[in-house]
Amino acid sequence: MNIIEIQGLTKDYVNNGFSVPAVRGINVQVGAGEFTAIAVPSGSGKTTLLNIIGGLDRPTAGLVRVGGSDLSGMDARQLSDLRLRKIGFIFQAYNLIPVLSAVENVEYVLLLQGVSRVERRRRSEAILREVGLEKEINRLPREMSGGQQQRVAVARAIVSEPDIVLADEPTANLDQKTGESLLDLMHGLNRSKGITFLFSTHDPMVMERADRLINLKDGRILSDEVRGKKRAGTKTAKQAKTTKASRGKTAGRR
Amino acid sequence: MKIFLMICWRNLWRHKRRSLVVISSVALGIFAMLISLGILNGVMTQMVDNTISTSLGHISLQKKGFRDNMRLEYSFMPDETVKKALGGEKIRIRAFAPRVKVQGMIRSSEASRSVLVVGVDPERERRVSRISHYTVKEGGSSYLTSPGSSEILISRSMAEKLDLVPGDRLVLMIQDRRGQIVGSGMIVKGIFQSPVDMMDRFVVFVGLERLQEITGLQGKISEINAVLYNREDVPKVKSHLLAVMGDSSLTVLSWMDMAPFLVSSIRIVDVMMYVSFAIIFITIIFSIANTLIMAIMERFHEIGVMKSIGTKPSWIFFMILFEALNLGVLGLAAGIAAGLFGTALMNVTGLDLSFGSESLRVIGSGSVIYPAVKGLDILMAGLIVLVTTVAAALLPARKAARINPLNALTYI
Repeated sequence: MNIIEIQGLTKDYVNNGFSVPAVRGINVQVGAGEFTAIAVPSGSGKTTLLNIIGGLDRPTAGLVRVGGSDLSGMDARQLSDLRLRKIGFIFQAYNLIPVLSAVENVEYVLLLQGVSRVERRRRSEAILREVGLEKEINRLPREMSGGQQQRVAVARAIVSEPDIVLADEPTANLDQKTGESLLDLMHGLNRSKGITFLFSTHDPMVMERADRLINLKDGRILSDEVRGKKRAGTKTAKQAKTTKASRGKTAGRR
Repeated sequence: MKIFLMICWRNLWRHKRRSLVVISSVALGIFAMLISLGILNGVMTQMVDNTISTSLGHISLQKKGFRDNMRLEYSFMPDETVKKALGGEKIRIRAFAPRVKVQGMIRSSEASRSVLVVGVDPERERRVSRISHYTVKEGGSSYLTSPGSSEILISRSMAEKLDLVPGDRLVLMIQDRRGQIVGSGMIVKGIFQSPVDMMDRFVVFVGLERLQEITGLQGKISEINAVLYNREDVPKVKSHLLAVMGDSSLTVLSWMDMAPFLVSSIRIVDVMMYVSFAIIFITIIFSIANTLIMAIMERFHEIGVMKSIGTKPSWIFFMILFEALNLGVLGLAAGIAAGLFGTALMNVTGLDLSFGSESLRVIGSGSVIYPAVKGLDILMAGLIVLVTTVAAALLPARKAARINPLNALTYI
């Protein structure tokens, strides 16, 4: 099953009366459980693509389906709900809420989903332990390093077990070692939890580790390479569902 | 919800100085409001109390028409039903006393003055008015001794104008019940000084029986004045007396009926105060709104992030509203605390406004004011702050709720 389906996606921006194309007729399908990177030079439409998939921006033309839902027919409220329940975001600049501690930042998404206080805290602490931040749960973002903040952002993105995590250059503000460690973490989560990750990046390290690499230039797909060896590790939709279900059972037993 | 409220609370302290300025401005507004209202309440309360305690009483039982035309033909002999009616209200009526009131003139060797002569039973009058309390107890001056004696109490200002001292003789001239002008020599027994200027200018007190004798009223009186334990009971007592009294030519007037100018001036002053508070709080609205708009502009990106991860616009709206309410409620609490402390402090010795004592005597409040903050004032302060902060926050909150997450995420 495809988590993301894009057909004939076009996005034009109007600048000083001129129409500037950012994305030109893209067709892409992303399967459940994939670990995919969109490799692009700056200004080639990667953020636009991610924003459209995330329901933050609307296409000029084309069809975008996320988790089976056609985004073109959704209003702002429905898109907000889709982002809350089906999509996790990881931003280049971490974008944590500065007045909340690490655990509160993670809890915030669950709060929006209406999860009970006790359950929120249990799941948030568990996910922070998983990303190696058990000692930092009560720290405010300003008291943490960039790497730690991005780990909190990852925890926030996955705590509600979304269908897909969209990561916009997640390693861009990190040093190589921290970036590698974060990628390992996300790859591990992709494998253990079956969460689909879609990156935009121009970081060669991210490109190397992706199971699938889509090269985008001037708003068009240049190549779509599935790494044979790594692609084998990609779960089918059925496998991803099985992983989620077993995760749910584990949570239930806790 | 706890996290949500926590965000609001912590956001407040991201710019401590800025928040403190807004909180202080609200607190200062509330403080000024409570102090002004407290002083005004004190002035009004003392004005009413003094008027009640020197001349009106809480309730007056009199012939219909007497208030508009203070003539002797409106005098009456209280019957059994009147006595029973008053006796039946013992729980609420503290004391009552008869009076005779008649227009007249007093003349000394120096000058003469037009006066309202009030005949009182000295002992019973002590329980319904403070005239004995206001009587000077030095230089030979003392309160009336008996209802039948030829003694008169005059005010200090009148004594000065007529050049009289205690023990001096003056002539009281009045029209008796047959319309004849009669004169009677009276001895100045005492000098009084009340806080009510009008009283001091025009009123003199004599013994009730002596006045009945001079006017030929033969035991009749002009009115019965009653004071209650609680001023709030006036309407109940009034309607009860009206219901049980047998004499239909009599009526019962409350102090509000007898001094409508007092009631209307209290209302006018209240309205003026609230108008000035409205002006103060309109400026506070702009101060809060300005702070919130600045806060939203600074957190434009952050609000965009919150919306991009699924926060509904209504949550953002209420977050900004709660932040404004936090500012308002903190200011309110500080303002109330400071206001109550300030009024309590002024109440220890009273606020001495003797530099304006003449004007205060004109309105009858006395020159030392004891401010009093009422529960209603605090309720009003709370309501004003609530309305002010919500009004101030509406536009910024709406603006924040409408932030486009995409624009905000790319905003630096």
